[in-house]
This record gives sequence, structure tokens and C-alpha cells, in this order.
Amino acid sequence: MSNVIELQGISKIYKTGYEDIIALKDIDLTIRNGEFVAIMGASGSGKSTLMHILGLLDKPSSGKYILDHKDVSRLSASNQAVIRNQQIGFVFQQFNLLPRTSVLNNVLLPTIYGKTRDNLARATQIIEEVGLSDRIKHKSNQLSGGQIQRVAIARALIMEPAVILADEPTGNLDSKRSQEIMELFRKINKKGKTIILITHEESVAHYADRIIRLRDGEIILPEELSA
Amino acid sequence: MKFLIVFKQSLQAIFANKGRSFLTTLGIIIGIGSVIALISLGAGVKVSISDQISTLGTNNITIMPGAGFNQGASDSDGSMGGHPGGGSGFNQASSTLTVKDLKSLSNKSQYPQIKQVSGQISGSSIFKTPSGDRRYNILGTSESYMHIQNLSLSQGTFYKQTDIDNMARVVVLGSQLASDLYGNKDPLGEPLRIEGTSYRIIGVLTRAEESSFNNPNNQAYVPYSAAAESFKSQNFNSITVQAENEEVVAEVKKEIKKALLANHKISDEKLADFNISSSADLLSAVSSITNMLTSLLAGIAAISLMVGGIGIMNIMLVSVTERTREIGLRKAVGAKTIDILAQFIIEAVMLTMIGGVMGIGLGYLIGKIAEPMIGFTPIVTGNSVALAVGVSSFIGLLFGVYPAAKASRLNPIDALRYE
Repeated sequence: MSNVIELQGISKIYKTGYEDIIALKDIDLTIRNGEFVAIMGASGSGKSTLMHILGLLDKPSSGKYILDHKDVSRLSASNQAVIRNQQIGFVFQQFNLLPRTSVLNNVLLPTIYGKTRDNLARATQIIEEVGLSDRIKHKSNQLSGGQIQRVAIARALIMEPAVILADEPTGNLDSKRSQEIMELFRKINKKGKTIILITHEESVAHYADRIIRLRDGEIILPEELSA
Repeated sequence: MKFLIVFKQSLQAIFANKGRSFLTTLGIIIGIGSVIALISLGAGVKVSISDQISTLGTNNITIMPGAGFNQGASDSDGSMGGHPGGGSGFNQASSTLTVKDLKSLSNKSQYPQIKQVSGQISGSSIFKTPSGDRRYNILGTSESYMHIQNLSLSQGTFYKQTDIDNMARVVVLGSQLASDLYGNKDPLGEPLRIEGTSYRIIGVLTRAEESSFNNPNNQAYVPYSAAAESFKSQNFNSITVQAENEEVVAEVKKEIKKALLANHKISDEKLADFNISSSADLLSAVSSITNMLTSLLAGIAAISLMVGGIGIMNIMLVSVTERTREIGLRKAVGAKTIDILAQFIIEAVMLTMIGGVMGIGLGYLIGKIAEPMIGFTPIVTGNSVALAVGVSSFIGLLFGVYPAAKASRLNPIDALRYE
């Protein structure tokens, strides 16, 4: 299987007035196509910084990032936006949806910024896959927390990206809803989609095939968890 | 980026906060409304005045005795010793327009572009009426005056050139005067004593439209030769020349000037003792004044547009802050800086355009409400509507750029984390 993500010697240093804060230290990481990977760590471990770099929301201070066989470490902001649009599907912990906007239009949001065809048909199909066909016309403020995350997942899938990047997707949900959302991720992964999950909860991380643990900006213990 | 979707989104954003959007655009609505109202009132005044001037006849040229407006300054320099004509009534004393002038302008073969000419001697005289002596206006002229002024007879005939040559004591009455003096009685053939001389009534005019400049219905018309004797003045108060059509008016004016200068033996046209003007001259003078006043008032109203624009900018800044996380989300799913910039500018422009359209409605309404009070019809022109829409969109653009730029520069990570 080919590698969808390769990080080589990625570091991120924040320069403040007095001292430089090293958020990530020389990270090497390879994620293969179709993998379900969890990135774990306490707050301050650098997992958010890593997620921002993986999601092209931020640039590394040094090192090389190869996404889908292309070096994306030194792209301009507008080229980063294109890659985010085409190659990465985001699921955030909160504020995932546009307020007062229908499920369908939320799912279609990324298509405004990229060239795709048959958006409506694809959106309808994906909304069905996440189990929200009966809510397609509902406004985002009429949905429960679990439903909101389902819409976010559908939106992450609409552009058929190389990677789904989920940042604490169950952080605001109770354990039953969390379980449902994780099952949905599993299902999507089984269909071949690469998923990277950022979490601090062991129970959530165990849905992944592989857990990468971060501490003080370094990967500490890669372990295989073939479920 | 798909503009149709962006337009739809902007509309949704505007209508999601209906109350706030309305209050925001209120400044624009009032600004555009007052600009439209003032421009349409101005246009209405202009048309109303032009209509009045047109009743004078657009082909007509009036020759008056005395110096032209542009010669006033040199006049006051030169004649410190008081007016030469002084005392006994300006018109009669200083008039220089002679029967010779009238005759020479009436020469059809020399001036083919002149349709007809009439000379007028005007004044007022005591009429002996059944209810006592009354003073009425009297106009000494010829039949061509009736044609030039579009007057027509309801009864009898108008006097002819022979009556003028014979100084016949005949009179044609305006419709109002006829009914004032004779009521329902037939005045034709009746004798009428004017200033001690007996005249015979030979005709009555049909009722004609009055204007601010004259009332043809309330005066008596006599041969100018008779009037000249009665007023003891050989010369005309004015000569009216009707050109064949509007296009030749300017040319005819030049011909008249040349002819009269020759008749009066004046070689330097700066010393001309007469003044030639056409309705078009008056019209253009009035137009330029009303245009100036309209733009002055519209300019003042435009200040409120500026204030409205600042209101738009303020609320757009609030909106950007409120929607920071939305902006972060949009950027995360692939919106570029320019996409966010365009989105917020379009939103501001749409907000002001909606305000502009509502303002046009308001301005129209103000004009309609004002109409019965001011006595003329305000005219909303396509130009003023286009101007209003253009100006309001420009204001949206102008005052939307800063908030939009602020929104588009947000870093997606910070924007997503914003609480």
C-alpha cells in the first residue's frame, strides 16, 4: 500500500519575545493509504500543532511534508487552501457547521471553493451514508450534537479527499453518541478512506488501527493495534 | 468560487438578521430617499417652468427696447448724469422700435425664415362700462399677434391691415373681458368708450391658457396705430417675431439684429438700443438655475449617504467579529483570502443596494406626498434611479472593503479557536 502522508524531520518553533517555544521536534511519520490512525497526547504535547501542520492550516518551521506524493511543506496560503479543499476533510470538535444553514448546504460548503461535478447527487448519497436522509432540509441549529458531527463527517467526505482529519470529534458528546460516531468513522475507514484522529481519550483512540503518542513535541511510542 | 451561491449566502446572511440589517440600511434608505426626492422635485420644477415658458412659443423671438443685460455695466459707467428718458414712463419714453422696423422684418422675400411679425404697444386705459369706469389692459397690435400667440376668435373678426392703416377705432376683446363687460349679451357691433374715444367691438377671442407672463383673456386688442395715438407714442413696446421653426431661431436672431442696427443707424452692436431674446434663452437660463439648485440640495442630501455608509461599515465590522468562527471554518474547507474578501464585500454591496432600492421607493413616496402641497409633479428620472443604485453600491464597496479585508486576513487556526 502506498503512503498518503510522509513527514520528514518536521519541527515547529514559535518565536515569542523571550524564548523560542518548540512545539514539535523533528517528527518523522508515515501514514499509509487506508489507515485509521489516532494521534494521542496530553494538552501541550504538540498534537494540535501536528494536526494544524497535517491539515495545512499551519506551516512547519523545518522539515518536509509529502501529501499524496506531493511536497506541500512550502506552499503559499492560497495553494494551501486549494489542497485543504481537495485533499483534506476536516471534522472539528465544535463550530463545525454554518449557523442557520441547512444540512445539505453545510455538506455542500466545500464545493463552493473547488471544482467538482454532480455535487447535489453526491451530497445526497453521502448524507444517506451518515444516516441523515430524513434531516437533509433541517437547519444546523435544529440538530443534536451527534447529528452535527454526522453532518461534519458528510462535509469532510464531499470532496473525496485523500485524508479525513478529525480533531476531538467526540469531545462534546456523551459516551453513547461518541460510540456511534466512532462506529461511523470505522465504517468509512473500511471503505478505504484514510482517517487521522486527534484525541486525548483512550477509549476513542482504540477504534484506530494504530496509535501515535506525543509528548513534549516528540513521538514516544508507536504501537501496532491491529484490531 | 460560484458567484450565484455567494449571492445567495449573502442574502441569507442579510435576512438572518432582518431587524439589524434594516436598521443598518436605514441610513442608506434615508440618504438615497432624500437624494431621489430632491432630484425629482428639481426635475418637476424644471418641467413645470419649461411648460410655462413653452406657452410663450418656442419659435418666438421678442425684441425689446433698451440695452441688453450684458451692457448694463457700461451703461452705468457712462450715464452718471441721470436717465435721458427720465420721468414719464420708461416704456413709452425710451422705446426705439418703430413701425419701420416692423415693416422691414415683415419683408418675406428678404427674410424667408421669418414666418410672421407683430408689434405691440401696451398700456392700460379707462373703459366706460355699465357698472362705471374701469381700468383694463389694452394692447395695440396687428392680426399676426393673434396667430403668433395661438389665439383664436370665438365671435366676429380680427381687424386687418387696412384698419391699422386707417387708424380704425375697432376693438377685439379677450374672453374674460367680454363676459365681464357684457355678461351673456352679444357684444358684437356694440360701441365701447375707451379713454373718451368710441370704439366698435368687432370680435371676441376664445378662452386661452394663462401663464405667469401674461393673461390674454383679460385685455382688449386694438390696431396699433390707434393705440399709438391714444398712448401718444409712435413706437412699440416690443416686437414679436415668429421664426419658421425652432432650428432657425438663432439665425433669425442674427438677421433681426443686423436689420435693426441698420434701421437705427448704429454701427457698433455694443451700442444697440434694443434687446433680442427667445424663449429658448429664457429656458436655458431657468434650466441652469434649477439644475444648480437641484445639485446643491442633492449634494447636501448626499452627506447623509456618507453617514449611512459609515453605519454599514460599523455593522460589517461587528458581523465579521461575530462570524470569526464561520470564517475559520470556510478557510479550513478551502476558502481563499480572496473568497472571504469577495463574500463580505458582496454582502456589504447587497446591503447598501437593498437600502438604495428602498430609498428610491421612499424618495418616490415623498414626492407623491409632496405633490398636492407644491402644485407640480415631481419626476423620478431613470438617471436619478441609476445614480442612486450606483452611489449606494459604491458606498457598500467603499465601506465594505475594510471589514472584508479584516475578515479575509484572519488566520484560520485563530479564527476556529475564537470564543
